[in-house]
Amino acid sequence: MTFLNPALLAGVAAAAIPVILHLLNRRRFRVVRWSAMMFLDDILRTQRRRIRIEQWLLLAIRASIPALLALAMARPVLTGAAGRIQRAPTSAVILLDNSASMEVGEAGRSALAAAREAAAAVLDELPRGSEAAVIGMAGPLPAAEEPSVDLAQVRQVVLDAEGGWGAARPAAALQRAAALFEQRMHHADRLLVIVTDLQRSTWSPERAEERRRAWSRLAAQPVPPRVVLMPIRAAPVENVAVGPVELSRAMAGVGQTLRIRATMRLYGGRARPSVRAYLRVNGVELKHATVRLEPGAAEVVQFSHAFDRAGSHVIEVATDPDALRADNAAAASVIIVDRLPVRLISGDPNPLPLRSETAFLELALQPWMAGAGRAADLIRVSTVPESRAEPAHLRDARAIVLANVRQLPTAAVEALAEFVREGGGLLIAPGDRASPSWYAATLDEAAGLLPARLAGIVGRPDEEAGAVGFEPRWPAHPALAGLRAGALDGVRLRAYHRLDVPPERADGILMRLENGEPWMVERRVGEGRVVLLGGPLDADWGNLPFQPAYVPLMQELIVHLGSVVHPPRNIEPGERMAARLDDDTPEGERATLTLPDGSVRELVVARRGMHRMVEFGETDRPGIYWLKPPGGADPIAWVVRRPPQESDLTPLSDSEIAALVAEASATIIESPEAFRRIERERREGRELWRATWWGVLGLLALELVVQRRLGGRVP
Amino acid sequence: MAERLPLLAPEDLRRLASLQVLARSVVEGFCSGLHRSPHKGFSVEFREHRAYVPGDEIRRLDWKLYARRDRFYVREFEEETNVRATLLLDASGSMAYGEPSKLDYAARLAAGLAWLLLQQSDAVGLLVFDTAPRRYIPPRARPGHLRVLTDALERTRAGGETDLGRVLHDTAARVHRRGLLIVLSDCLGPLPELLAALAHLRFVHHDVSVIQVLHPDELEFPFRGWTRFESLERAGHDRLLDPAALREAYRRRVAEFQRDLRRGCHRHRVDWALMTTDRPWSDSLSRFLAARRRRA
Repeated sequence: MTFLNPALLAGVAAAAIPVILHLLNRRRFRVVRWSAMMFLDDILRTQRRRIRIEQWLLLAIRASIPALLALAMARPVLTGAAGRIQRAPTSAVILLDNSASMEVGEAGRSALAAAREAAAAVLDELPRGSEAAVIGMAGPLPAAEEPSVDLAQVRQVVLDAEGGWGAARPAAALQRAAALFEQRMHHADRLLVIVTDLQRSTWSPERAEERRRAWSRLAAQPVPPRVVLMPIRAAPVENVAVGPVELSRAMAGVGQTLRIRATMRLYGGRARPSVRAYLRVNGVELKHATVRLEPGAAEVVQFSHAFDRAGSHVIEVATDPDALRADNAAAASVIIVDRLPVRLISGDPNPLPLRSETAFLELALQPWMAGAGRAADLIRVSTVPESRAEPAHLRDARAIVLANVRQLPTAAVEALAEFVREGGGLLIAPGDRASPSWYAATLDEAAGLLPARLAGIVGRPDEEAGAVGFEPRWPAHPALAGLRAGALDGVRLRAYHRLDVPPERADGILMRLENGEPWMVERRVGEGRVVLLGGPLDADWGNLPFQPAYVPLMQELIVHLGSVVHPPRNIEPGERMAARLDDDTPEGERATLTLPDGSVRELVVARRGMHRMVEFGETDRPGIYWLKPPGGADPIAWVVRRPPQESDLTPLSDSEIAALVAEASATIIESPEAFRRIERERREGRELWRATWWGVLGLLALELVVQRRLGGRVP
Repeated sequence: MAERLPLLAPEDLRRLASLQVLARSVVEGFCSGLHRSPHKGFSVEFREHRAYVPGDEIRRLDWKLYARRDRFYVREFEEETNVRATLLLDASGSMAYGEPSKLDYAARLAAGLAWLLLQQSDAVGLLVFDTAPRRYIPPRARPGHLRVLTDALERTRAGGETDLGRVLHDTAARVHRRGLLIVLSDCLGPLPELLAALAHLRFVHHDVSVIQVLHPDELEFPFRGWTRFESLERAGHDRLLDPAALREAYRRRVAEFQRDLRRGCHRHRVDWALMTTDRPWSDSLSRFLAARRRRA
């Protein structure tokens, strides 16, 4: 308890006034010569004790009135232990939920607007000399994430904060807040305010473990901050969300049909019999479809499209706008190429027709060129003999085929390994020339490329007896997308390499022989893929090249291997965005990146290994990013995917909120006004003058009642 | 004590004259209408001689006396009297309270009543008392008796303690002839004794009326601030107190007392009337007479 006008406390001595008056009055009495003494004597004889008690009570009430009045004027304040803080400066960190769901609000005002005001109110309440930082929980507020004593500037940043980000990441934001408190904040009074819509998908109890580490880190600080949770309520709304757009492949050739799938979901409300979905390619609406949506159920909408132009394209699936616009469209970036360069390294070059190790493969990959047709092949093959293979041959290729290669120079193997790790595709088809020991020592142990060890040749290439076919079933895999059921029934392999697949890579077995032996095994190495076959791609060990399925099998296999887009163009928020530019792009040149909100950044071309790259890390905002490389090259599009969970606007239930409050040891404060009041009470204590005044009034009334009861009305 | 005004001022007499008609009917009603009269008959007896004045009836001349004195004298007789009334005036110390004092007020009432009764040829006596009878004037109906009575009333001063009960018992013994007894007192004394004395008076067939004269302060107790109440009757008897603290209790006590007095009087068929000194005494008297008439 303290007093704002302690000097007036002396007025409590006024309690003595009624007592003094009482004593004085007793001394300065008047005299009445009285007739009816018998009544006074009667009363005093029978009621002296009661009258005395009542007199003392009245005197006590009268003495209390001036004392309480003086107390009220001294402005008493209930402070408790918090009295120590007074107006000491505070280190405050505000976590502002600027996720997409904050776009929805109540009464024409978005939750984000309410959150901004709440955060500003918090800043307004900080005492002079305080420092504050504001952390965007979904997207950064760069100008406010550094602690600053310029609270007006921080306030302005908060008021200018825009939405359009993805999902809030409480755990990461809390970790950042903890780091700020640990390293950058100085005051002993510490405050962490979380302003959020308490969306269930963000704060769900299932993700408590993620947050627990951050809470522990905050609690472990020498002066743990007080945690205040300010929920921003939003009216429940019906929300149609378009989920992630999935493409049949991230890279396709010009004219190749691309299959596009998007999941649409209805959150809340009632069933919607016809919801329109639109397909937009590079911003141009091309097709639409109608789906029926049931609340909570997902519905897949499918489109297909073939591009007639190479380059970086954006495919969007959209629906009509509703309360939450952020999830009314989803996009994917796709690369369309007009050629897929493939380098074949032949272990057995032979100028005679169809005698070369790669002859059948070349035909299968470039059927039009071989047939002198007018259409252009997507895949462009170039073949080098193994003896002349060198790193430079890998530079422009998207896929490499080692066709019955005995061994390669070390430099070439190293280049090959790097090529694969950076997203290249490698197909290994060992034949009779392949040396299991070199494959094991170099390709497997040294380069880490081999999906399985070669464990010896089974069968004899020149003996038809004992030939085996393929198991008639194979997994659904993009590499095998060209095979129809029964397409390989006629294949007979007279010999094959037994592939010793480590158990942990058993999932990579794509094709087996009918005797159960694996024949095609895939392994991911870095960003790239390696496929090892159990035999060569010519007709030396079997009749596979003569089968109709050979061409689609090889085409799909090579496109699968060669269509790894690395660095990826469809990424998650926060993931680093990078693009490989033409190798002749000068280092230090600037590329221009346009962000989804329309802002523009300049990126410097840097050298990474033998490539020229641009990179960008601030990818918290979902949407389409367009990069214009220097030198007039075609623009490149990235899509940062919107987190689908953000579409579910369900807030935490009351019990879950209670659990969250317990988890954070937080105080929940519903409004800026309440925060203001509580903070003032904490700092300045609870002013008791109002209660004291009521007390004075109460005593006056009591005095009147007692007085009336004892003295009655005087005519 | 303030200089007392003449008891019957000319204006009082004017008002009393108007009451006379009322009083006459009351007195008549109460002596001959109901069998409540203390007298069964009347007599005509000589009272005095007075000098003849022109206009006197010739037949009233006392010729024998003319013969002896050679002057005309008219014979006056004791007129017809059917009521012997005695006014009992409390002159104890407590009656000194107020301005005018209760004693003044009661004395005026007594004078007024005496005038009315004498106007009707009733005999009126006076007993002034405090602890004991202080002065007694037996009832007479002579016209000059009023003067005797008013002189006695004017000379009366308050003092001493009250013992109303004892005085009334004494009166029962002293006034043998049944008659009308009008007690003028504040009645501030032990109630059981007072009621017992009233019962005694009724037992000997007196017609008793009690006119209680109180000052409004004695009913309301309106004092403020610490006050020492000193007894008007007993020296050295005082109480220092805050009147506000026991005002309500006082009022309750007084109300109880008045209620008991009223009921007691009613029980013994004694007329009782409360008169407060803040009202003109003639008004109070007329109300008293009117009430008596109604009861009669």
